[in-house]
Amino acid sequence: MKILVCVKQVCDNPDTITINESSAWIEYGPATVFRMNRYDEYAVEEAMRIRERFPDTEVHALSLGPARVQSTIRRALGMGVSHGIHIPLDEDRYVSPAERAWIISEAVRGRGYDLIFTGVMAEDDMEAQVGGLISSLLGYSSATGVMAEQLFNEAGEIAVERELEGGRREGLILKLPAVLTIQSGINTPRYPALSHMLKAKAAPLEIIEQSSHIPPDLSGTLRAITEPSLSAKGEFVEGTASMKALKLLDILHGHSFL
Amino acid sequence: MLEHIFILALHEQGKILQETYECLSCADDMAGPLPSLIVLADTKTLSPLSQELAEKTGLEVIAIDTGSIDAYCAELYIKTLTAYLRDKSPFHIIIPHTSQGADCAPQLAHGLDACCITAVEGIEEGRFARSMFGGRVKALHSPSRTSAVLTVMPGAWKPAEPDRRSIGTITVVFSAERSLSTRTSGIKESMHTNTALTVAEVIISAGRGIGKAQNMANLALLQTLFPRSALGASRAVCDLGWLDYTHQVGSTGNKVAPKLYFACGISGALQHLAGMKNSRVIVAVNTDPNASIFTVADYCIVEDVNAFIPLFVNLYDDRHRKKP
Repeated sequence: MKILVCVKQVCDNPDTITINESSAWIEYGPATVFRMNRYDEYAVEEAMRIRERFPDTEVHALSLGPARVQSTIRRALGMGVSHGIHIPLDEDRYVSPAERAWIISEAVRGRGYDLIFTGVMAEDDMEAQVGGLISSLLGYSSATGVMAEQLFNEAGEIAVERELEGGRREGLILKLPAVLTIQSGINTPRYPALSHMLKAKAAPLEIIEQSSHIPPDLSGTLRAITEPSLSAKGEFVEGTASMKALKLLDILHGHSFL
Repeated sequence: MLEHIFILALHEQGKILQETYECLSCADDMAGPLPSLIVLADTKTLSPLSQELAEKTGLEVIAIDTGSIDAYCAELYIKTLTAYLRDKSPFHIIIPHTSQGADCAPQLAHGLDACCITAVEGIEEGRFARSMFGGRVKALHSPSRTSAVLTVMPGAWKPAEPDRRSIGTITVVFSAERSLSTRTSGIKESMHTNTALTVAEVIISAGRGIGKAQNMANLALLQTLFPRSALGASRAVCDLGWLDYTHQVGSTGNKVAPKLYFACGISGALQHLAGMKNSRVIVAVNTDPNASIFTVADYCIVEDVNAFIPLFVNLYDDRHRKKP
């Protein structure tokens, strides 16, 4: 069994980003901190748990992005992934889901992955498309929002439960190879031990240069970034903290809650 | 020029989901042809579903008979819709961004050589607006190909009012798709429904902004002020293990509508808002004045919740509970 986990590096503190000069994308600030997309942590953990059940399993982690994303690949190695793959990007730019899925699919096609995991979405662009697109491009079966999985190694099938509204779950049995997008809460991601992180720091990463003939129509649909127009519906309670607390007491008393 | 606007009507247990009618309002905001609705269902439930759509909207309904397959299945939807829409380009198909719609949209777009824009929250000057970076910025998208698959965030539009003037036509199409590699194995009810949350008059709810598990004590303290109250939480708080999933409020957790919803350190992800915005009175405490929770709150307090709650409870005690 071979599993690939696609991990994305995202910024941990979106309050440090600003909109760039052309309003086409954002810029990270000096205080921006990067980390692994949380949903992808659950995906790495789930792959680790499959390897615990099926010790022959090989788990790889892949990330597409500028040089900084190598720290996220190393984080996955620290969690126990055996091989890290980096597809470098020359500049720190927006990559549309269509382009991202195409580049990843080209890079891993023919490598014999039985399962490809991604998080259910990326916390930065929040588009939730890459997993589904990879399954289409590679001709894999697919399920999104996976909250439980059970692998039947012999039959080449995997049973999954997808999360639905209200916490209900839909059961599916997929043929392998398959792409699963993993929902948070499926497990509790492990915290890598310091010794594992030190080892991961020194581990060699495989670099796959992206194919030079990217189809022209993958640039995506993003046209501009703007400040959100937050229209507060209610009343901002003003004053010092104590004044706000006193006003809130009056308000809740007025509604007969207190 | 756009030839068609389609809306994919989603349904569960024989009922059209309200989000379908929200997509109709979204279509109204688009400059384009009158939309048609597409519904896929098994032979038995197809007729009442398409009847409801035709009666409520007055629009053309394309009813696709999937034979004996009676539940949503991504592979079935993708294959059937791809076959039906293949020669309809240029079109836009609008799909609710629910667990079904978000599941099938990207693959559908791929199969139709269409572009895909997900989780749309608004239309501004002909462009589709959606959140990025947890709502810190707004992104504007427009189609990059002649046809587009759009998913619309639940709750972003109000459901369209029923149009009683006329009844739409229903065209039944039989799906040829019979060979699926995916098998569905049924729906499991939630293990995390919590009647304490549905009966509570007051819900004190925790978000990531409370900082650490120990600070849950502040919320318990606040709870002592309200006799018929329960503790709620955002998904993030449950994922972190600060409260178990029975407390989760949101579209994938419990949907609640108490008399008072007290949001503590909750930034207000759309999936959380969908689960609580019908509460009668909403109080929100958050350090970030731009937090989306303030778009639904009646009373907005920009403070650190861990300092504010003890202060609030002390002042309450001074007034009401202090023994002489």
